[in-house]
Amino acid sequence: MDLLAQILVNGILLGGLYAIMALGLALVWGVLNIVNLAHGAFIMLGAYVSWHLYTYAGIDPFLGLPITVVVMFVLGYIIQRGLLNLIVRAPMFNTLLITFGLEVVLTYLAQLAFSADFRTINPSYAGNSFQLGPVVLPLARLLAFAVAIILTVAMWLFLLHTRLGRAIRATAQNLVAARLYGVEPRHLYAMTFAIGVGLAGAAGGLYGTVSQINPYIGAALTAKSFAISIIGGLDNPLGVIVGGLFLGIIESLTAAYIGPTFADVASFGVLVLVLIVRPSGLLGRTA
Amino acid sequence: MSKAQTIKIGIASFSVLASVALSSTLAAAKDIVLGASVQLTGPVANTGRYYRDAYQFAIDKINAAGGVKVGNETYQLALKLYDNQSDVNLSVRQYTQLVSQDKVNLLLGPFASNFALADSAISEKYRIPMVQGGGASDQIFSRKFKYIFGTLAPASDYFGSTIETMKTLKPEPKSVALLYADDAFDVSVAEGTRPKLKNAGFTVAMDERYSTNATDFNSLLSQIKSKNIDAVLVAGHETEILNFVRQAKSLAVAPKLYSFTVGVPSEDFRKALGKDADYAFGMTAWLPSADQKDRWFGDADQFAKAYREKFGYEPDYHAASGVADVEALVQAIEDAGSIDAQKVRDALAKVKFESVYGTIAFSENGQIDLPQTVIQVQGEKLVAIHGEKGPINPAKYPMPAWDAR
Repeated sequence: MDLLAQILVNGILLGGLYAIMALGLALVWGVLNIVNLAHGAFIMLGAYVSWHLYTYAGIDPFLGLPITVVVMFVLGYIIQRGLLNLIVRAPMFNTLLITFGLEVVLTYLAQLAFSADFRTINPSYAGNSFQLGPVVLPLARLLAFAVAIILTVAMWLFLLHTRLGRAIRATAQNLVAARLYGVEPRHLYAMTFAIGVGLAGAAGGLYGTVSQINPYIGAALTAKSFAISIIGGLDNPLGVIVGGLFLGIIESLTAAYIGPTFADVASFGVLVLVLIVRPSGLLGRTA
Repeated sequence: MSKAQTIKIGIASFSVLASVALSSTLAAAKDIVLGASVQLTGPVANTGRYYRDAYQFAIDKINAAGGVKVGNETYQLALKLYDNQSDVNLSVRQYTQLVSQDKVNLLLGPFASNFALADSAISEKYRIPMVQGGGASDQIFSRKFKYIFGTLAPASDYFGSTIETMKTLKPEPKSVALLYADDAFDVSVAEGTRPKLKNAGFTVAMDERYSTNATDFNSLLSQIKSKNIDAVLVAGHETEILNFVRQAKSLAVAPKLYSFTVGVPSEDFRKALGKDADYAFGMTAWLPSADQKDRWFGDADQFAKAYREKFGYEPDYHAASGVADVEALVQAIEDAGSIDAQKVRDALAKVKFESVYGTIAFSENGQIDLPQTVIQVQGEKLVAIHGEKGPINPAKYPMPAWDAR
């Protein structure tokens, strides 16, 4: 029983991390209709930004997170205006190709710049934990979880209540109508993509504090984010949280009670099931 | 002609020129060309570099010492190296290209067992001997192949000396968890370790295989804790082991001992973990020592120093094994008095010499047999605990709880 409680807590905390990883991907996908295959590479770059801030400037990874987000936000804005805007009206296949190319380029540039050595963001408290009844709560994961929830709820409120947020939602729902109401799509697309990349940066900073960083972590993270976005649905940031938690819990339970090799089978099996039963995601509107 | 076209033609002709220039430097007369495909990029690039650097370092050293004598003639060594991008399929294609198009004389290996397992099929098919120092899995050598030679000790015996060490510890650990990744090397390790644990009287309380790309070990760690396991033996890759140790700390899981097949001997791993690397056990078939003489490098100690100066990082057993591969080929060429692939192969089967890496001699199946020295991270240092002749230094055991360090 104690073990089950611990496994569930592990799964929930893992799910929070998953949610923040997928948040940016789902936003960009939902609004720009671009499946950003370079999303994992942006998470990796964000992790390196946080790692540099921590290693060379001594900035705590959680306190430095806003800096990471701003750096990645600016990078995202530039990449959208300079590169992705060229293909914004192109068929889906072209956007896949260009973001895939971007992923390859970013990964290899990262190896040139940072080498293939493994890095960790390891402040003295990163491994701390506290006991709550029979369950151990790892501090860094708990903080990462809290940041993930805060960012997701903030995203949700931002989309609901701010002018820019409403414009983003309007564009996602009906581009022509949004333009008629004075939305300038180029700036809006760039802002959305920048927010997505900024969120990827935040996810990277958190990922580096609980796991390890090398230039090649991106592809697997993109795949995971992709699955979570589909499971949760693209309509609503809260769907991503649900998708992340769902996946985290399923993977933890599978690893403990069926076998660790089956964790991926379970998560992608769930993906297929969701596609069959609820194609627009767990929290998505049914068509 | 438009400007763009001119530029295109310019680039095309330049690249043709460049490739002609490159291939002509390779095909210079009296060169023995050694071909290899190594992970220079991709997820295992940080281990692949040991082989790139070791091969080149050994070749430069041998050339500087006058090259290779074959009968009355002296040859220089050249290296034809491809980057397999950590992709097994690409690696197989590159070895095919090395033997069929580049016509290299002899082959050096890639890193990692799953690569060596696939690539050795090429050396066998084309009957070109390959000496590889990156694959330890017993599977590579169990197929009665005649052209594959390996300088890593058998995977099945990686934990052998660790189990001997465990018998000497007080209080003796009782229950053991054996965790391994699902690839050629780690499965061989597990298959070899299982009977050794039983014979030594340990209870194998957990025996779990996990996916090679796993990043989350929380479920396994929670089980280790709830089953109160004394000793944890993990066969995996560096990324997984980094995650394992970090997550063990964050869940406050501290068995009496844990030991890892990879990572512990390499500087990069210890740097990434910092203080959290303390108490981790591992094993290595090579520790630099002045007693280990070498014809070209003097001894292993001098080799380690020169390597560090040249490349800026510590060599570990991967690097020493890579150097031994080049030396084994050279020794075999000289013994055979020929660069004919068949004759070199026959000489390799009988070769016996001292190198920076140890005594190089291959058993019937083509694999070397070297004892694994148990090592442990103790504070800043890597300490040898238990070798072929028994205990060397006392182990720090049992590992204290994470909050009591």
